[in-house]
Amino acid sequence: VTRWEVFKQDAAGKPHQAVGSVHAADAEHALVTAAHVFARRPSAVSLWVVPADAIYSRTAQELASREAADAGPAAPVAHGSNHDAGTHQQAFHVFRKASHRRSMTFVDHVGTLDASSPAAALARAVTHTPDAAGALAWWVVPVAAVTASAAADAPAWFEPAKDKTYKQQALYGATPAVPSDRVR
Amino acid sequence: MATAHALSANLQAPLVLRLTAMADDELILGHRNAEWTGHAPLLEEDIALANLAQDEIGHAITWYGLRSAIDGSDPDELVYFRDAPSFLNAWLVELPRGDWAFTMLRQYLFDAYESELLARLAHSSYEPLAQAAVKIGREELFHLRHSSLWLERLAHGTSESRQRLVTALATAWPLLPQLLAPMAGAADLQAAGIWPDPGELREAVIARARAALEGLGLTLMPLSPASGMSDHRGTHAAHLDEILANLQSVARADPEAVQW
Repeated sequence: VTRWEVFKQDAAGKPHQAVGSVHAADAEHALVTAAHVFARRPSAVSLWVVPADAIYSRTAQELASREAADAGPAAPVAHGSNHDAGTHQQAFHVFRKASHRRSMTFVDHVGTLDASSPAAALARAVTHTPDAAGALAWWVVPVAAVTASAAADAPAWFEPAKDKTYKQQALYGATPAVPSDRVR
Repeated sequence: MATAHALSANLQAPLVLRLTAMADDELILGHRNAEWTGHAPLLEEDIALANLAQDEIGHAITWYGLRSAIDGSDPDELVYFRDAPSFLNAWLVELPRGDWAFTMLRQYLFDAYESELLARLAHSSYEPLAQAAVKIGREELFHLRHSSLWLERLAHGTSESRQRLVTALATAWPLLPQLLAPMAGAADLQAAGIWPDPGELREAVIARARAALEGLGLTLMPLSPASGMSDHRGTHAAHLDEILANLQSVARADPEAVQW
């Protein structure tokens, strides 16, 4: 069964963020499953799913090491130059992990650009993204590999979540095992 | 928001009956779905079924609440302290969860029914009912997407998945008329614009399900026309006792409990 990476957008104007993965036989099933698993609670306005093997992924360490970059499945990263002219261009989404502080998401969408390969897209993204030097990891995804939730689905898929809050432990009328006057 | 007082006395009993049937259907279906927790074919579907179960039980709470506003009944009392003969759920929802094909087919048939019903209840003259229908109907569209998606994959998956779906259909399809049968006072509720015409609803649900299932190349047996007492809700197989034993045992072990 294919593994799909799931990207969730919390609100209009916010970036899609990688939130985890689901297993499904096809894109539509992956999308519905992703809605169950990742959009059950607030907040979401859009979901993308991408087959995991369509993602070109590089950590900062890999980028720093030319050997590692060359070992990738796609063309070598062409640092600082644009060798794309005259070759087939396609659109790529570029995502970046900017901080270790976030535990619930991995990379955030930073932009979309045309390039001849994922590696070329990443090279251009590194050149053009502000604070690129501080990035911890990058993902590059062909736009064509993304299956997105439809805007028309939002009322059925995402809005009911607004009424489903997490039930806090304190809301359960349970008798504490230790009487409160003994708790110090 | 309209109150129960807006409801004339002769309509209260039929609406209480209808709301109880609706709530019982959702409660029991929710419990059957919840039985998949830890057993679904994929972890992701395990989560999905738990979500569906919670949603259906949440809908049940809404319907019991609407009943409570009319007759002051206590939903907890209705759920935990009624015996099987007082439950008004349809046979379709109380059957054991079976295999994945049966679970998804049953969910689809119930989703198709609920979607058609809620679309009509959204125009109910009884405002609390109309509001609840709009809210629940939104969520039901997502349920329908999930169950429809699975029927398609089971029908076109492998010869085994298709055979399982055919077998599930032989059990579930003939139970549809009871789910759709009118209950006492239906004509009064319809005349007051509170609940839709059961005959028209029945035809709409069957047409919708037939189009979907025949569209998958499945053969459907003819449904016998609604036949009075045989479609009566309130008779149950031993399956319901089994669910209730599970569902009610803790509450009944200490009926006076105010805290656990």
